[in-house]
Amino acid sequence: MEPSSEPTNTAKPAEYNASSITVLEGLEAVRKRPGMYIGDTFFRGLHHLVYEVVDNSVDEALAGFATRVDVIIHVDNSITVMDDGRGIPVGPHPTVQGMDTLDVVMTKLHAGGKFENSAYKVSGGLHGVGVSCVNALSEWLHVEVQRNGKVYQQRYARGVPQQKVAEIGTTEKRGTKVSFLPDSTIFEVKEYDFDTLSARLRELAFLNAGLHIVITDERSGKNHDFKFEGGITSFVEYLNAGKQPLHDKPISFRAEKDLVSIEVSMQWNEGYDERIFTFANNINTPEGGSHLSGFKAALTRSVNGYAERSQLWKGIPETPSGDDAREGLACVISVKLPNPQFEGQTKQKLGNSEVKGLVEQMVNEQLTTWFDENPLNAKKIVGKIGEAAKARIAARKARETVRRKSVFDGGSLPGKLADCRSKDPSVCELFIVEGDSAGGSAKQGRNSEYQAILPLRGKILNVEKARLEKMLDSDAIDTLIRALGVGIRMGQDDSEYKPTEVRYHRIILMTDADVDGSHIRTLLLTFFFRQMRELIEKGYVYIAQPPLFKATRGKKDTYLKDEDARSEYLLAIAAERTKLELSNGARVEGGELKALLKKVDTYEARLERLALRKDKRLVDALVQGTTLAPEDLKNSEVAEEKLDALLDYLEARYPELNEWITREQNAGRQAIGREPDKEHSAFRYKMPTEINGSPRLTVIDTDFLGSPEYRALLSLKEAFKAFGAPPYTLSIGDERFTAQTYQEVLKLALDDAQKGVAMQRYKGLGEMNADQLADTTMKPENRTLLQVRVKDLVQADKDFTLLMGDEVEPRREFIEREAQNVVNLDI
Amino acid sequence: MRGMAVPRCPICQRSVAAVEPKVLPFCSDRCRQVDLGRWLGGDYRIPVRTDDEDEDGDGAVRRPDER
Repeated sequence: MEPSSEPTNTAKPAEYNASSITVLEGLEAVRKRPGMYIGDTFFRGLHHLVYEVVDNSVDEALAGFATRVDVIIHVDNSITVMDDGRGIPVGPHPTVQGMDTLDVVMTKLHAGGKFENSAYKVSGGLHGVGVSCVNALSEWLHVEVQRNGKVYQQRYARGVPQQKVAEIGTTEKRGTKVSFLPDSTIFEVKEYDFDTLSARLRELAFLNAGLHIVITDERSGKNHDFKFEGGITSFVEYLNAGKQPLHDKPISFRAEKDLVSIEVSMQWNEGYDERIFTFANNINTPEGGSHLSGFKAALTRSVNGYAERSQLWKGIPETPSGDDAREGLACVISVKLPNPQFEGQTKQKLGNSEVKGLVEQMVNEQLTTWFDENPLNAKKIVGKIGEAAKARIAARKARETVRRKSVFDGGSLPGKLADCRSKDPSVCELFIVEGDSAGGSAKQGRNSEYQAILPLRGKILNVEKARLEKMLDSDAIDTLIRALGVGIRMGQDDSEYKPTEVRYHRIILMTDADVDGSHIRTLLLTFFFRQMRELIEKGYVYIAQPPLFKATRGKKDTYLKDEDARSEYLLAIAAERTKLELSNGARVEGGELKALLKKVDTYEARLERLALRKDKRLVDALVQGTTLAPEDLKNSEVAEEKLDALLDYLEARYPELNEWITREQNAGRQAIGREPDKEHSAFRYKMPTEINGSPRLTVIDTDFLGSPEYRALLSLKEAFKAFGAPPYTLSIGDERFTAQTYQEVLKLALDDAQKGVAMQRYKGLGEMNADQLADTTMKPENRTLLQVRVKDLVQADKDFTLLMGDEVEPRREFIEREAQNVVNLDI
Repeated sequence: MRGMAVPRCPICQRSVAAVEPKVLPFCSDRCRQVDLGRWLGGDYRIPVRTDDEDEDGDGAVRRPDER
């Protein structure tokens, strides 16, 4: 272990002569203006010292003599760098009189083998200032050389040799070990950062395949060990770790020409980041330079060439650019050349212009070959690039449209918007109305204090014969964005998107109550969900519920929002006009009658729902005429005795069905089939019948009799006990009727009720005048609003995607289903 | 529930299970941008129902309670 500090004795060394003076003058210049040599005296410069020393070791490796480099950060922030190379030459220097070669290397600027191409064909080393700079800027520096079986040592203080180079022992190993402590009077940052050094050493290990680099931090015990046989291919795999690569293995190739060696490895992943690292002689060139320009030109050319030959970019409005080609690309380019020229302020750009052509030619040839030999992967890559181009074009279009408008209008409100007077968003409401005529009514009928109206018109397109499509054009979308006042996100840039500045806390979609209206609504909801999700999350988006019906009775108009409201309305009238007399003489009327009629109505509705497959007459007879319970099916005798009652009921109530069954039986066909139901150790009865020629199959089994649907019917039947036995006598107005069943009672009462009512079904908002629209749909005291929630929209978005799709069948199915999806939103 | 399925980006169909909430329902700002481009380009079109498709002839939505 070296002592951690050395006496800073500046007494004249023994061998003080003319050449030493030049040396000292050179190093004094470094000390006076360190920034010129190592960049700065802060973090970067401090770490730079280590790289400078390590680069010498890497040069030995590049020349084929070293295999391993060790870097140690000591507890006092001094550094040791060791390699197993040839060792710095020791002995009298051939040209510098009276100096040891080791001292020349360590103290003379621009000394060392790397400046004459003979010793190292290529070499790294930052800016070529060499280890002498490190020496000049170190409080102390010790070097130990193992060479020719001997160990030599020299010590310096701020660049000044403290003794003659000394032979201190013998060894079988070889190599160079340099330890130094950065001069605290020069550096303003004194602590080494392990991760920074480690990252650079990892990079070096990638760039020099097979080179073993170990870094140890004595302060913390941290240790990293790098050795990559795959070289820069491993580098690319490292860059793509945790990403989804587009093709299995990186595309890697290397070539050498005119003493320049070029290595490239690249792999696309499914992401969007472009990560290209370029190096010249192991030195990172973050500003690129000739090697990068050569690569970019070749990439664009070979990709375009392949895409054109294989016609993969049909339908893309413009040729994908270089940026598109590099989307999701991880790539490492490493060139090694005899005389690198680094340009730019921070010398981070490769200047050698001859490199561009060499890289371009090599990459173009090799990549074109690779594409031809790997058509599947080539297709994926070129396809991805095409997608990137589409995305870029779309993004540009979006930017242009929204930016242009807001620049021209100075962010003003759109002309179509009829705004409200209040500026308090918490009370303001925006009605988005489809169609101009409905928009006009809404404007007339609104309360202009807090209700604003924005008419939006979908544009109809005749896509093909007999197929029309509707869309919101960019004007409509732009109008919407500006009316809301929230701006829009532009990719990552959300500086123009301010959902908290929304001008209305109720954004109400008011569209026709037909399929087209619900489609427009889906379109708008999807837009909000995708582009202004925060508005929906905050609960600002609502759906207006215009009435489906208007009922006129006498001079009184009543708006009915849906089918339930309609039957409720008619039942109320029926109960008002009808008096029911039961067979026991009891009279039922008013509220009591309405409740009974409503139960019959519900019963009928439930029966209808079962009637999709089954014959509702049979189900009705089963409920009303029998006491068949699930357990009865275990015994066929019990079951069939009870089913006889069903036939009796049919005979009384549905004679036509009874006759049909009799005819079938006479013709030798089975009207009622029995089969075992093994799962329930019971029997199952099947009755195939017809209603108006369409076949029904009524299956009576344990499952059906136990089902909630059937039990609901049974419980309604309980309620009908209030009716007692038929006949039932109705007096409606001046007339009297007799009915045998509850259904007949209901029908008679409703028929009469309907006679006195004009029922108008609203198809569109435009059929209502301004007052009607305001009364039914806009006034807070009368209207119903559905609040839109995000969870509903996840499905809505899927449906939207389906709606946009080209497949006809799912699209049609969707249209049937879609109305429900929107209507089912929570209130 | 059909909603049990993994949510996917409406543009590129990639899973959005692990993306930052800000970009939802997309997988990335890029896909959001592509979507905006499509809105503004009028690429999202909905079919308009013609009369012969209108089964019950009243031009109205069939609501679930009408079944």
